[in-house]
Amino acid sequence: MPGNRHWLLLRAGGVVFVLWAAATITFFALRLVPGDPAEAILGGPGSQAGPEALEQVRREYGLDQPLVVQYLTYLGRLVTGDLGQSYSLHKPVLTAIGEQFGATLTLALVSLVLAWALATGLAAWSVRGGRVAWAIGSGLELVAAAVPHFWLATVLILFFSLTLGILPPVSVPGPLGIVLPALTMAIPLAGFLGQVMRESLLTAMESPFVTTARARGESEVRIFWRHTLRHAAIPAVGLSGWAFGSLISGAVVVESVFARQGLGRSLLSAVQLRDVTLVTGIVLVVALAYTVMTLVTDLADRVIDPRTRAVAE
Amino acid sequence: MPSRRFSRPRAAVVVTAAVALLLAACSPGGGTSGEPSGEPVTGGTLTYASGDAEPSCLDPHVGGNYPQALIATQYLESLVSLDEDGEVIPWLATEWDVSDDGLEWEFTLRDDVTFTDGTPFDAEAVAANIAHVQDPATASSTGYLALAKIKDVVAVDDHLVRLEMSAPDSALLESLSQVWVAMESPKALERSQEENCAAPVGTGPFVVDTWERQDSVTLVRNDDYNSPPADVAEATEGSDLPYLDSIVWRFIPDSASRYAALQSGEVQVIDNAQPDTIRSAESDDAIEELDAPRPGAANRIELNSGKAPFDDERVREAFIRSVNVDDGIQSLFFGTAERSYSPLSSVEPLGLSLPDLFTVDFTVDTDAASDLLDDAGWAERDADGYRVKDGERLSLDFPVSTNQSIPAEQSLFEQIQADAKTAGFEVNLQPLDLSSWYGVLAENDYDLVSAPYTKVGPDVLRILYHSDSITPAPSGYFANLAQVDDAELDDLLTQASATSDADERAALYEQAQQIILEGYYILPLYDQQNHFLRSSTVQGLRAMPTVSTPTFAGAWLAP
Repeated sequence: MPGNRHWLLLRAGGVVFVLWAAATITFFALRLVPGDPAEAILGGPGSQAGPEALEQVRREYGLDQPLVVQYLTYLGRLVTGDLGQSYSLHKPVLTAIGEQFGATLTLALVSLVLAWALATGLAAWSVRGGRVAWAIGSGLELVAAAVPHFWLATVLILFFSLTLGILPPVSVPGPLGIVLPALTMAIPLAGFLGQVMRESLLTAMESPFVTTARARGESEVRIFWRHTLRHAAIPAVGLSGWAFGSLISGAVVVESVFARQGLGRSLLSAVQLRDVTLVTGIVLVVALAYTVMTLVTDLADRVIDPRTRAVAE
Repeated sequence: MPSRRFSRPRAAVVVTAAVALLLAACSPGGGTSGEPSGEPVTGGTLTYASGDAEPSCLDPHVGGNYPQALIATQYLESLVSLDEDGEVIPWLATEWDVSDDGLEWEFTLRDDVTFTDGTPFDAEAVAANIAHVQDPATASSTGYLALAKIKDVVAVDDHLVRLEMSAPDSALLESLSQVWVAMESPKALERSQEENCAAPVGTGPFVVDTWERQDSVTLVRNDDYNSPPADVAEATEGSDLPYLDSIVWRFIPDSASRYAALQSGEVQVIDNAQPDTIRSAESDDAIEELDAPRPGAANRIELNSGKAPFDDERVREAFIRSVNVDDGIQSLFFGTAERSYSPLSSVEPLGLSLPDLFTVDFTVDTDAASDLLDDAGWAERDADGYRVKDGERLSLDFPVSTNQSIPAEQSLFEQIQADAKTAGFEVNLQPLDLSSWYGVLAENDYDLVSAPYTKVGPDVLRILYHSDSITPAPSGYFANLAQVDDAELDDLLTQASATSDADERAALYEQAQQIILEGYYILPLYDQQNHFLRSSTVQGLRAMPTVSTPTFAGAWLAP
């Protein structure tokens, strides 16, 4: 299909553009902040760098070059897949990201599954439970979608760790440690997903195919799981690409509050330390994950729904 | 000045002689439940939660900041230490001697100490360490400055080392006691910086085992440990130190999560305890406080005398007499911080305190400040109530490092801003991240600034207030942020750092501090706050009398 190839090429070009823009904006944004990165590399509260040390650091990291040269060198290395050396971690950026990526990916996936479960449960209950349940469901979703992560995290810690004493307030090895961080990310997301799902569940429940199934004598439970839910899930699945991106950004707050290893926390400390190579590296990886996820969702849409294909051509 | 270091005068606890040295450092905040309960217990894993940024390198020679010092205290040791009275005592060096001209120091080293990689500790090791700190490739800043006057190191024999100085340095022993110049295995130092940063090798009670970035460092017991500093060795004679099997050193940046982790028992010791947390911990029997103000300079606001309007002493005096910080400190710090009237930390025996200069009584001081400003030409006020001179507003830039100033301190600055407004000063508070903050200081774009400085001994005064320190480093950074340029002061500080006579040194530092205080160059606030909270199961925890970092060498977990 030439139309498909053309579409794919265009989209791939879009991915490259997004990555280039992310790298460029991050690079210059970090340089615009006043202050000497070399001082930041050596400095820390209460320390004072000697001239030789500063010079050494500048040479080592190429900070003595003009900004344009630094930028072009940086882009040149990016093309060859070299993300550079992180000075705050004293190791290659790619290695550093590799160490942290797994933890964030696990957190994001667990949160996504949890959000789906919460959203489905709430939507199903509120759709079938009459007007009061509908109002409660929609109210809960609104509140859930609006709460900030740091506030929710504190409330969850207070309740589950300090009052009930059943879950650790900071991340610990093993499955228990991920519960509170994942809940913190899942609840606001479930609010969004639930709103979308509830509307489409309602539409689905009034659809002819549900009536047909009922006429066939299928049980209500079976109708809900086999027909209604499947139909209602389609628009919400489309949101998962976006949701994944928002989960990665939520990880910045959640990983810090729960002292969990991961990319979000690395990003925060890298920004504070002015570790330009590490910040751009992480931004690039997150941008890549996000665009690839969106691409995959769109591709799936084209396969499932012929209408979108026609529009693209 | 309290003569006992690191113990709160109001909470001095009398304990039995054998453990007195260990526990004088951790008298609890008001209660008696901090006394040791029973005999030391061997074994167990303790989890420590640090609120500081995770160090980028575990070798404190590289860079050299406080988070590095905190963790490195557990696995690295220095040539000398300090006792509770600030006297220099033996550690890896057993004795030392200085030549009459102060240009040659000889240190006799212990001959029975081995680094945890099996390398013997000897004179060559000392030479390799000093060379490592002084090598520009190491990028040492704190250690580099501490050893700046060492010109050459000669291994006289295996366990006798001679340091040849470029100039006499009365602060050398204090400098050498700091963990930023601690001794590491010369064989380990030969590895790449990446490797050495990940697992430095020392002689301390613990060994770096693993480091999970953005999560934790695991330290395990050094089974062959035999080199505690003299005071600890005396207090724990016959014990097989350390008691703990391992320490998990975690990084929990969020203050509320850190405290929650302590309350739920997930961790046993936390640092950077905030005033409100300390307050609420006071009512919790399962939690005790360790207050260990850092040595060196007290936290203070520097008035930039290098440019208008603070180049006029009258304006500086007017500012200081217009702001009442006592009430703010009391209310915002919940009584956890004591007001300072000295350029030096209260743990520095040579600190000079002048409370009368800095205690503001608005009934007299408001008028006095007003007269001073009138005299200095700032007689008129504009529509907003700010003083003006030649059409220009009396405006002060106050960049605040949000990495270094805790929320309570930032609130205190806001109160100062409000007080100063009444007197006609416009204070522009600018919250900045660390790099940006260094940036505006380098540009001389500030009139007020608060910058912590940790160093053992009064020589910190030379670094902060000698006019040499106005000359910026190539980065633009300079330590004399008040920009004090006073020939008499320079002279006193230079003499003090060269004299080997203790009384003369004390007298010189006293005169120097008098000039700094009476010139209204600084507004002292309080000691550099350094509060730790521990579970009451943790016994024998102590802050090093050097840079106030806690040491777990003699700590155990009560069952």
